[in-house]
Amino acid sequence: MKLGFWRSVNVRRGIQILFLLVFIAGVVWTRPVPGVEPNPILKLWFFLDPLIFLATWLAAHAVPAAAMLALILVVFTLILGRVFCGWICPFGTIHDLAGHCFGGWQRNPKSREHWSPRQRIKYYLLIGFLVMAVFGGHWVTLIDPLVLLYRTTTVALLPGLQWAVEEGSTAAFQSDPGVGPLRLTAVTEPVYEFFRDHVFTKPNQAFLGSGLIAIVFLVLVALNGYRRRFWCRYLCPLGALLGLFARWPLLRRKTDQATCNQCDLCGAGCHGAATAAPGSAWIPSECMGCLNCTDACNRGGLTFQFVAPWSREPPREGLGISRRTALGAAAGGIVGLALVRTTPQARGQRYHAKLIRPPGSRPESEFLARCTGCGLCLKICPTGALQPALLEAGLEGLWTPRLVPQIGYCDYTCNLCGQICPTGAIEPFPLEIKQQTKIGLAAFDTTRCIPYAYGRDCMVCEEHCPVPDKAIYFLEVDVLDRHGAPAKIKQPRIDADLCIGCGVCENVCPLKDLPGVRVFSGNETRHPDNQPILPASDLPY
Amino acid sequence: MSEIKHTRRDFIARSTAAGMIALGAESLFAPSAQAAEKNADMAIAKWVDQRIPGGAELKPIAVELTEKAIEGIGGLNRFVTQGDIVWVKPNIGWDRTPELAANTNPDVVATLVRLCYEAGAKKVKVGDNPCDLAKKTYDSSGIAAAAESAGAEVVFLDRNRFRDMAIGGKRVKNIPIYPEILECDLVINVPIVKHHGLTNATMCMKNYMGVIENRRTFHQAIADCLVDLTRFMKPQVCVLDGIRILKNHGPKGGNSDDVELKATVAAGIDIVALDAWGAELMGLKPDGVQSTVQGDALGLGTMNYRALNLNEIGVS
Repeated sequence: MKLGFWRSVNVRRGIQILFLLVFIAGVVWTRPVPGVEPNPILKLWFFLDPLIFLATWLAAHAVPAAAMLALILVVFTLILGRVFCGWICPFGTIHDLAGHCFGGWQRNPKSREHWSPRQRIKYYLLIGFLVMAVFGGHWVTLIDPLVLLYRTTTVALLPGLQWAVEEGSTAAFQSDPGVGPLRLTAVTEPVYEFFRDHVFTKPNQAFLGSGLIAIVFLVLVALNGYRRRFWCRYLCPLGALLGLFARWPLLRRKTDQATCNQCDLCGAGCHGAATAAPGSAWIPSECMGCLNCTDACNRGGLTFQFVAPWSREPPREGLGISRRTALGAAAGGIVGLALVRTTPQARGQRYHAKLIRPPGSRPESEFLARCTGCGLCLKICPTGALQPALLEAGLEGLWTPRLVPQIGYCDYTCNLCGQICPTGAIEPFPLEIKQQTKIGLAAFDTTRCIPYAYGRDCMVCEEHCPVPDKAIYFLEVDVLDRHGAPAKIKQPRIDADLCIGCGVCENVCPLKDLPGVRVFSGNETRHPDNQPILPASDLPY
Repeated sequence: MSEIKHTRRDFIARSTAAGMIALGAESLFAPSAQAAEKNADMAIAKWVDQRIPGGAELKPIAVELTEKAIEGIGGLNRFVTQGDIVWVKPNIGWDRTPELAANTNPDVVATLVRLCYEAGAKKVKVGDNPCDLAKKTYDSSGIAAAAESAGAEVVFLDRNRFRDMAIGGKRVKNIPIYPEILECDLVINVPIVKHHGLTNATMCMKNYMGVIENRRTFHQAIADCLVDLTRFMKPQVCVLDGIRILKNHGPKGGNSDDVELKATVAAGIDIVALDAWGAELMGLKPDGVQSTVQGDALGLGTMNYRALNLNEIGVS
């Protein structure tokens, strides 16, 4: 029965778009507001995600209480199957839109749109990654679709939009073109100001390595040109996990064999490729409940109906996961973990000098066992200091946050990253504790620093040092100028007991290529083994 | 139904008459002392009571001292014309509360905003280019709230809207300046007196660093650069806030031990004189700040503020 515009697939499409917009709005709303704690609802997507729940619980043996919300999605999936993938997942919606644009299901539908044994790859990946998680490797969350989309939006898509808005409006502002009294800036300035005040986090925001993150995203989207929802069918670890819960859903598809003439219109539009051949049995673990099949069937031969969990009717097909391959995947997970863990850094023999973690970060192994690389902290950091790591934390720490002082610094009266972290990789330190937490130690490069290298006063770093008693101080020293005449200049020094490694000195140094003062991870509070400075006795921390 | 009819001629005649009366009233009822102060170059309003109350009690004192200092140089009518747009430029440099004396006293700023409106300003804008995060700094300094409640438009300086300008200085040839500030009819420079590691003290001349970007190289020859910038900004009137001063660990401070209550406000037309006075308030000699010395030498004003037409006002 056709209902025209209000038929079920259009309702589903509307809901998908709505959830995609909600997701993007959530990213945009993750902005630093002075004096306001971020709303926990901004983390809701990650609390609802059972893959994050499971992987974090396996790796860190601890999850925030709110992550129990993931059980809602598990129960939802046990009843309805992978409806989350088909109706809610914002990354899935992007794949649908891309698939629609590529027209992938129209080209040669019959040969392409049926279940392929390779769709089992995602289950094997999941098994391997979960075994890795049992041994403390949290890597799977890095490719969780919600995490992946949040990170991509934060690091690549929004900064891209920001670049266009800022550069475009600034060009208009500076040339102020117009016809007679009409000015282009009368339009561009209000638009720019709206984005500046309500969307962007900080002026001219950009992220290191955003190109790689954008390329990964674009490749995954482009794969829809080969197979629709390629990511969802073949790779998505969250889809695989939900697929495991969806093996015996209560809502099942029934084919009226008397009506079916095996025309395969149902197969042509199927998002999940949930049948192996025209007219063959339905595979619930692959079905995303998109309802394209019931909509496409001209004879009305397909219906979704609730059945008892133990019911053998209507017929369904399992995953066909072989025990041997599953064991192989598990072994692969262990081998993979061994590969990323057998580095001097992972074995605690060295610390990466520029791996400065945000304040409240747990010791590295515990941190990696929790951090999903979602990018919430990157998004909310008011100075844009937090950047996705490339290899500074090893392959295992790909896209985890690190502070890059040349780009931003840790604001003295800010503790938003700890408050926003959904898995507690960064602990929510109160401000008083955060202000005493060392994330690194600054050092002057006397071959670069202007008073040392060039014999001139500077002291911009000293001025900005936020520690009330000043971790940067200066000594007035006698120097000779090139003619041998004596002069006095102020040379800065670091008080290693007071320096918290916030990085503002490096950030404001007039040397923008290689700053004359740089912060390194040594002396960080979270690693007693990485503290070269014997603490003073009279300090509270 | 009777109707009162106003012709245009009638209206002009009546309003002119009313204006004449108002003008006359001012000259009739203004205190006689004020007349002599009309041309004062500088006024210092000081709380002369032995006890300087802190906390909330300080607020009315800050307001009164600001009013008296402005009154002491002949009122803002001397600088503000009817319909002017005025930029009040405090020091909103650092994410610190007013008690820590790292930013201009918010009550001084708010009072100035009110006085500008009373002098006929059409709009008063308040803004600075903070070193710390702008939104937080505007909030924690208390200046945003105080200025807004006095009716000012609080403006954040947008990094993408600065314009490179040829200021033709000796040391600084080009520098990005915020155009909206220069477009105003009057800029009132209202800094706080505080310690500065590099320059010993930061006051009026140094406060102009808040209208520019790319300022980090200034420190290498700070006095030269400030002289260039001050000359370009052509100060008409400055107000120097000595309510609380920061004696050490400046300019950012953060320790209440470094803050001293002075309860004094100065206003004047000579920026060098004000800075010389501020240096004294800090316990330095008037020539203890290099930019003051150079400003004096280059004719931007005089360090010898006592030689000016000075109006000292005690308030208790």
